[in-house]
Amino acid sequence: HDSRSLAPGCHLHRKCRRPSGPSGAAVNHAAVLGRRPFPATRGRFIAQEITLSLHPPAFNVTIRSDRRGTCKGTHLVFACVGYCESSAFPSRYSVLVASNFTHNITSASRCCTISRDAKVKVRLDCPRGRHHDEIEILTAKACRCDMCRRSRY
Amino acid sequence: TPAVNLHRFVGCAVREFTFLARKPGCGALHITTDACWGRCETWEKPVLDPPFVDTYQRVCTYNRSRVVTVSLPGCLPDVDPAYSYPVALRCDCSVCVTSTTECITSV
Repeated sequence: HDSRSLAPGCHLHRKCRRPSGPSGAAVNHAAVLGRRPFPATRGRFIAQEITLSLHPPAFNVTIRSDRRGTCKGTHLVFACVGYCESSAFPSRYSVLVASNFTHNITSASRCCTISRDAKVKVRLDCPRGRHHDEIEILTAKACRCDMCRRSRY
Repeated sequence: TPAVNLHRFVGCAVREFTFLARKPGCGALHITTDACWGRCETWEKPVLDPPFVDTYQRVCTYNRSRVVTVSLPGCLPDVDPAYSYPVALRCDCSVCVTSTTECITSV
């Protein structure tokens, strides 16, 4: 971590740190995108993230037309990473009664969330200079400590 | 023990906590105990598939605890004065487990 990433609060990370692995950028996730038809293959898009750091403050998303990557485009996407306050303490008696005395701890927390995002367009380039549609993806524009979205977080 | 700057503290630690123990039919009792407080790493990143956001959410909560039971003052004759509460022995950044913990989140 650099000093900024260890500071309290919730930040939009623009600074890319080099990965710790020996091979440079590491592929940490691959998913198949099937929302829009692809004009050349009528198949599905393949999205691949190339992580530029240990956690994902900023990472390249590569979208490919097929497994071989006949047509592909890459764009840098920003995430929100931070340290928001949380605490845990003995539950009030009303909570104990309501939970049949199973919840004797109450955890009150906030999490680093994307408060504003934007769509960016990724142009897919193909062999022999042809290029296809632009695919829209999201990127974080602002962050803040806010509600933890998951019920079990 | 060196002083800790709470405004800059990152991590999860045992911290003193005072609360008012009370239940119907008894008087209240101020209790000072050990609970958990801190700042844990959380993040959100955009992804291409629904729900379009991937999250990592860890919160400062009890890792190990013991239960202490005290007697509340001034209880009615038919009310048990015993009041039990957890004392934190160790705190860590981890998921909030809803089966054992009341997980609340605030804006």
